[in-house]
Formats: sequence, C-alpha cells, structure tokens
Amino acid sequence: MTDAELVVRTRAGEPDAFGTLVGRYYDACWRFAYHMLGERADAEDVVQETFLRAYLAIGRYDERDQFRGWLFRILTNQCRNAQTSRGRRTKRFIQDELAIESAPAPPPGLATGVEDAAIVRALAQLDPLQREALLLKYAEGLEYSEMSAMTGAGESALKMRVKRGSERLRALLGTLHD
Amino acid sequence: MTDRTLHFPLPDEYEDAELRARVAAAYQAVPTADPAQVERCARAVLAAAMHAPAERRTGVVSPRWWWGVAAAAVLVVMTSRPWRPELARNEADSAFTASRPITEPRGATVEERGDVTRFDLVLPTEAEEVALVGDFNGWDENATPMVRRAGNTTWSARVPLPPGRHIYAFVVDGRRWLVDPLAPQVPDAGYGPTNALIVDGTN
Repeated sequence: MTDAELVVRTRAGEPDAFGTLVGRYYDACWRFAYHMLGERADAEDVVQETFLRAYLAIGRYDERDQFRGWLFRILTNQCRNAQTSRGRRTKRFIQDELAIESAPAPPPGLATGVEDAAIVRALAQLDPLQREALLLKYAEGLEYSEMSAMTGAGESALKMRVKRGSERLRALLGTLHD
Repeated sequence: MTDRTLHFPLPDEYEDAELRARVAAAYQAVPTADPAQVERCARAVLAAAMHAPAERRTGVVSPRWWWGVAAAAVLVVMTSRPWRPELARNEADSAFTASRPITEPRGATVEERGDVTRFDLVLPTEAEEVALVGDFNGWDENATPMVRRAGNTTWSARVPLPPGRHIYAFVVDGRRWLVDPLAPQVPDAGYGPTNALIVDGTN
C-alpha cells in the first residue's frame, strides 16, 4: 500500500494505517535524530513527537509532496527545538559539563552498534545548522532543492553550510585523532 | 542610466567524498530500531491523539465545534429578541392561542420598564369594550379602558403599578366581570372572583 493510500485511510479514521507509516519511517527518522542530537533518549523523544505532530496535522498534508519529505520537515524542526531546549538545560546545569568531558568514551547515550564513535562525537560538536545540512546531504543524499524545501533555507546558504561543516568536521576529526 | 543585473555566482557544490562516505557509513551503522521501540512510539502517538484526533480534510472549509455554539446563540437571540421583550411575549402568546381556538378567556401580565405593567386579555368571543379594574384604580370601570389589539378578541392596557400585591379583574361590555382562569385568584369576598398579581419592581 502506498504512503498516499495510508494517509487517506488515516484521515478516514483508521489508526492502524498511521501505525504502518510509523513502522515504515521510524528507522529513517531515528537515524537522523540520533545523529542530529547525539543522544539516544533525546532522539527517541523527538521521533515520537514528530510522529504525533504529523498525525495531528495529517489534514494539512498535500498529496503532491512526498510523505517522507513532509515528515522530515517536521523532524528537522523538532530536532532544532530539542537543541534549543537542551541548550537551556546545559546552561542551567553547567557543572555537569565537566563530568561529561571527563567521562570515558563512548559518551552516554551512544547507540549500540555504532563503531565510528569519533564521527558521532565530531558531528555533535558542529554548529547545528551545519550538522543538519551535512546529514541531509551526505547521509540522506538529498538534492539542495529538496533540502531547501525541507529546511526553509536558500540553496546557497545550504551549500555554504555543507562546505563549512565539512571543513570543520575534518578539523574536529583531526583533533580527536591526535 | 541603464539597469545592470549583477550576477552573484552560487558557491560550487562542495563535496568531500571521503567524509561523505564516512558519515554515510556511521549513519547506516546505527542498527534498525527495536520493534518494541517502534510499537511504543506508535502506541504513544495514538494514545495522545485520542484526545486530539487527526484533522480530516473535508473540502475547503472544515467544521469547527464552535459553529454549533454560534448557531445556537443566534437562534436563542433571534427567538427571544431581548431588545423587544414585549414583541417576543406577544408572539409567544399568540402562538399559544393560535394553536387551537380558545373556549375561555385567557390573560397575561408583563412587567415593562418604568414600573408599567401590561395586561393582556384574549376573549373567546368578540366584545365592544373591555375595561381593567382593580385596587389600583378603585375598581372604576371607566378608569382603565383596554385597547383592542389584534382582531376583535385581544385587548391590552398598560398601568403604572408600584411594587407589591395587586388584585384585579376585567369587565366586558360594561356588565360582565371575568377573571383569567389560569392566573392566581384570591378568595371571593362577596364581590365576585378576582385575580392577584405581585409586582416585584425589578424591571
């Protein structure tokens, strides 16, 4: 059954249809959120909130859009919100930062199966907008036009973020190797 | 002066192939989510949505809960017409009496603004004249003639009455005293039956 058919059924009041969509896109959302936030529990929360918002707004979904793209638009917003609220949280409990820095690798919240912990750590230190652009480009393999529609940023800005993000990521990986 | 368009070239698509491969590999290395985690998410979403069901597209406009409330409010206002209480009352009375032909007199009293009370009387038969008598006009048949309103059987009179208890009756064609059988009556003191009315003076 196509995404569009599942959306129609969800609108008609069949919750199982939305459950199928959750199963179909959970992994993709979870991977992106995990790499954006670098923390397993936060990623899980964000993905859940994303699906809830998608369900509540399913009436506004335009069938001409790809469901995955529409869902990722919500997801990228939710990741930004989570980063903002986490920023406030870290500022409040600044003394915990020392504990985190001195903790042995891998950092708490690292997903099982992740071997290249260095890249996860380096990504976590990038500017959030650069990280978002790098993941959408390198990991999701999106075109800049798609990224632009998803994030609301111009294509030039996105290209710049990928370039600067890549340079910064290389520098961070070099530091981590040393 | 000529307009000249300035072209700013977009930055070339920068790509670090090695980095791309490494990020993609790290991305793919994250194992698929535990089915229990997915199910937990689906359940949580649907449970939360129970209290806020998904929007359903029903054309250009979608129904809203407050439409029913607004429609009910408009209906109540248009029916009660608070700006013209006497009209609403008249129509209510006439609607009541029009439902079936009346066989006996039927009266109504309405407290209007300025301590004025309006007395209405609907008779089963036509009359030449009707008067209102009571303790407020010394039971004088000529003091308060009633005015013919709709047709020949409905009569009205307006009397300023202070708050308190008042007793009254109607006199038809100068000889027949009658009362509203549905209104409160006071015991007959030997002068015939009379109605009682309490004016509370809140209007």
